[in-house]
Amino acid sequence: MQAALPSTRPNVALYASVARLGFRRQFAYPQAALWGLITNLFFGVLRIAVLVALFGQTPQVAGYTVQDAITYTGLTQAFIMALSLFGWTDFMRTVHRGEVASDLLRPHDLLPWWAAQDAGRAAGQFVLRGLPMLALFALVWGATFPRGLDGWLPTTLSLLLAWACGFAFRFLVNCAAFWSADAVGFGRFAWAVLGLGSGFLMPLAFFPGWFQTILAFTPFPSMMNTTVELWLGVRAGPEAWAALAVQLGWALLLWALAAFVLSRGLRRLEVAGG
Amino acid sequence: MARASSRKAADGLLPSALRHLHLYFLLLRAQARSQAVYRVSFALDALGSAFITLSEFAAFALVLPRFGTLSGWTLGEVSLLYGLAELAFVLMDLCFGGFDAPNLSGHVRTGSFNTFLLRPAPLRLQIFGSDFALRRVTRLFLAAGILAYGVTASGAIWMPEAALLLTGSVLGMVAFFGGLFVIGGTLTFWTVESVEAMNVLTYGGRTLISYPMDIYGQFLRKTFTYLLPAAFLSYFPVLHVLSRPLPDGLPSLAAYLSPLVGPLMLAAAFAFWRVGVRHYGGTGT
Repeated sequence: MQAALPSTRPNVALYASVARLGFRRQFAYPQAALWGLITNLFFGVLRIAVLVALFGQTPQVAGYTVQDAITYTGLTQAFIMALSLFGWTDFMRTVHRGEVASDLLRPHDLLPWWAAQDAGRAAGQFVLRGLPMLALFALVWGATFPRGLDGWLPTTLSLLLAWACGFAFRFLVNCAAFWSADAVGFGRFAWAVLGLGSGFLMPLAFFPGWFQTILAFTPFPSMMNTTVELWLGVRAGPEAWAALAVQLGWALLLWALAAFVLSRGLRRLEVAGG
Repeated sequence: MARASSRKAADGLLPSALRHLHLYFLLLRAQARSQAVYRVSFALDALGSAFITLSEFAAFALVLPRFGTLSGWTLGEVSLLYGLAELAFVLMDLCFGGFDAPNLSGHVRTGSFNTFLLRPAPLRLQIFGSDFALRRVTRLFLAAGILAYGVTASGAIWMPEAALLLTGSVLGMVAFFGGLFVIGGTLTFWTVESVEAMNVLTYGGRTLISYPMDIYGQFLRKTFTYLLPAAFLSYFPVLHVLSRPLPDGLPSLAAYLSPLVGPLMLAAAFAFWRVGVRHYGGTGT
């Protein structure tokens, strides 16, 4: 008899299918995605206008040309949904509703399970919203792409690491739900910091030196700005690999922190549940 | 409590208006109380709300010195536009939040909209008092601060007339964007898909008029001047206060039209609202 004994160490196949489901779920509402694309495009147009007006007759600022600034806008607008730059509260909700208790009964660990689901979600959003956005920006405003293997390889790795850093950070913020009955406010604050620090509002290279120095000590540039700089070639060669190393370091640190905080939170949950 | 006060017979227009105002503030107070139950969380939420505005403006303000000006506009001058738009939009959000499409479509979907229809109080009054996000109050102070900086740093000559003009600009914007919220909310009686589409006009419109409109291409600028008259709301008044000429050779009179354009939009929106409510009642749900 083959009893389905729940193993505490599930195989890769389980997480792969969780990721696949997360990917497919994104295509459930194509009409909403289309409107989302139109909204992102409109805001993209406004942001381009501000950047082009700022540049004026200046050919280059902090390593960026006007064309780079336009490509930057296309990239940030394309990444909004894939990298959840406006925030993410899915895990928080399961804690507040108590659904996390039944999730714990399942034969998997919470952190990799949510990571797999979010990876699938991110990939789905990138295909559904990110790629069409990039294509539109390339067609209408001549947004540029990395060149050759030397360009694509570090950029792709950097995008994956940006997701990893961002997910771990978002998960950490969601863990606040273990300590507060209404952690949404805490989240709103965190997403605002993410928007500024990740270079979503403006390329970080445009900020004054002191502000960039502060941000360099935080993981936020690793959550998007680094990827943009590698994409544009503002950082290339050995500098690009150094930037990737920094991203990897932050990803590992944030994941370790998320795992630690989650385990503390779950212990607290047991106490609260009696 | 609301039911008891509205059951009293209405005699005369003024007492009835006062009673409605009283009811409105009762609704607001109830919500403000419930939102402030978790004190720490509320404080963080209020701080977070302000920080969204602050980070957005700071990103622009910190970057501007590297470039000089924004198409000839100094930080002080842009602050005037930015502060006006933010102040008006937050005021509008506090008043018209209940009409915002996500809120209203939520009520329609869950059926709590039917409860509004059953209660012996004016429908619109209930919607007005149904979503008062107290946490946004911090943004009012921030917007006022940005506007105050704009007033002092723009170097405009300040006359009572300018103050009056900008006050009219804010009132016009509140009515205008409130009208857009009402239209977006009304559309949810037919379809939920309209939510994101209206965001382009509301949040997009707010962002659009936060910067001098001469930075946009001809198509965008003309669309938001003549088709959707957003330029009349704050861009023209600010141009006038800064003694700059209006575009397209428009007379300076056009700078005074904000308190007219806004309420017109709002009136049209409420006419549409009445059609929507009749349609909703007609579905038999």
